Amino acid sequence: MKFIGFVGTNTTRSTNRTLLQFMKKMFANEAEIELVEIKDLPMFNKPESKELPVQVTQLAEKIAAADGVIISTPEYDHAVPAALINALNWLSYGIFPFVDKPVMITGASYGTLGSSRAQAHLRQILDSPELKARIMPSSEFLLGHSLQAFDEQGNLIDEEQTEKLQGLFNDFLLFVKITSQLQHAHAANQKEAAEFSWETI
Amino acid sequence: MKLIGIVGSAAEVSTNRQLLNFIKKQYKKEFTLELVEIKDFPLFNQEEDQTQSPAIQRLNRQLLMADGVIIATPEHNHTVTAGLKSLLEWLSFKIHPLENKPVMIVGASYYDQGTSRAQLHLRQILDAPGVNALVMPGNEFLLGKAKEAFDEAGDLIDARTVAFLDATINSFLQFIKVVSALAGPKQLPPEDLYATGKIATTLEGVDMYDDQWLEKAAEAVGAVSGNTYVKLNRGLLTVDQINYFLDSMPMELTFADSNNQFLYYNLREEAQNMLAARVPGQVGNPLAKCHPEKSFKNVEWVIQQLRSGATDAVRVHVPKQVPEKYIVHNYQAMHDENGEYAGINEYILDFKPIIEWYLQQTGQKLVGNEDAISSASVHQEPTDAVTSASTHDAPAADAVTSASVK
Repeated sequence: MKFIGFVGTNTTRSTNRTLLQFMKKMFANEAEIELVEIKDLPMFNKPESKELPVQVTQLAEKIAAADGVIISTPEYDHAVPAALINALNWLSYGIFPFVDKPVMITGASYGTLGSSRAQAHLRQILDSPELKARIMPSSEFLLGHSLQAFDEQGNLIDEEQTEKLQGLFNDFLLFVKITSQLQHAHAANQKEAAEFSWETI
Repeated sequence: MKLIGIVGSAAEVSTNRQLLNFIKKQYKKEFTLELVEIKDFPLFNQEEDQTQSPAIQRLNRQLLMADGVIIATPEHNHTVTAGLKSLLEWLSFKIHPLENKPVMIVGASYYDQGTSRAQLHLRQILDAPGVNALVMPGNEFLLGKAKEAFDEAGDLIDARTVAFLDATINSFLQFIKVVSALAGPKQLPPEDLYATGKIATTLEGVDMYDDQWLEKAAEAVGAVSGNTYVKLNRGLLTVDQINYFLDSMPMELTFADSNNQFLYYNLREEAQNMLAARVPGQVGNPLAKCHPEKSFKNVEWVIQQLRSGATDAVRVHVPKQVPEKYIVHNYQAMHDENGEYAGINEYILDFKPIIEWYLQQTGQKLVGNEDAISSASVHQEPTDAVTSASTHDAPAADAVTSASVK
């Protein structure tokens, strides 16, 4: 199976990226995880021409081709970072790689709450008609105190956390298999997303 | 009242911008609304800090000066736009100008639900500790079917919508009054009126208190004079020409730098003929030496307002024993190319001739008390040879021309 590991921030140093890199290593036997970055995307400005930057189309192709996406998000001001909203704005503007795509959400944060509010925010965003992803339900993975959570090799130190992550990942593998069978409405969903317009509701 | 309106959309054509422009027009008797665009700012990246950039510093000052903020947000992907979130991230990272600031949320959308979800997210974001705004509860204003809501002049068509907007805006104005009491007076850092610190342009090695400071400092630094050309923004003048120009200003000009040192005045008259007396030997003195000690608190207050950006200008009427004049001291903040505070331009003039000329030109007359112009100070007001802000206690709100005293 092939997953995209979506780094939800534009900074070079990021515990969310470290988390995804750890998952890539840890689950290498079960799936191929490719990390993608949102750093180089320009600010979304709703171009009249509907022309997309090349980084966006490349990203969209990777997501469309993958079996699922794992998004790891930090929390800025009780919500996901602007850079992540920006990426999702582009990835739903005339293109629909996220529609019906299985998604798993994780988050790392320096503080105690481990990005809980941002993850709830992200679920709402991915629910919108132009994104309409299939988010694995009831499966929060919140990594708090993330600066102390990894050792020098980038491995999660806490065994309980690691076990929980393994459990969630196994769930996700199953989730992807199940949802891949829920394809009967997919063509219709894609069409609906493409034709959806807030102006004609 | 002075409000800032943040347009939450970067699109060229935006109904949220239209809504704010309508509010600006419709309520211009109650407040001024200055619009801020999110597209003028870079995407937030905490490793590429732009807090010191001119754009963000300017926004910081604008927000600090404002009595309140109205944010108009569209809804995209069930949430606020990336650009709006990014702007709020800049305002919650190293600077926090929205702290304890009254904020009202409105939203325009093409469709019926009119930004309901984005507005809820926005409330949560504004509540976060880094932002810490005071968001007006309830009073949701959601403009649905926004494309058809405005006429060609940009006015809202539906009377009931306007009535509802009236009600929410009035609630906001009340909210601002009530909530400003909660915020309390801002504690600003004290001013060193003795100029013991230094800035990049401070001349060391010459005693500030020396009567010959100008002559000695000019020589030490190799200052140009006479018919040497100086390139200015924007023009080319000799030093002599700059002097002619500044001397011809119909007002007394004074330059005090951001280190609180008195560096220049346009010397045209002897001290006893000036509205605010200065003598040539005073140039170079720290501001403490230019004011009587009992006025230090007032002087400090004026500088604090200007340095902090709470206001850009303070205007004070200084009564002197010359009732036929209405002398006003204007303290204008100066800023460098990065928008950083660079000191005070104090310009002093008699307002009376200007007002009389205006009345004459327009054929108008003043109503009521004819002595209004000659001012309250027909009584003996103790002023000194070197004047400053009024010698009353801390200046009241009417001394400030712009935003309310914070």
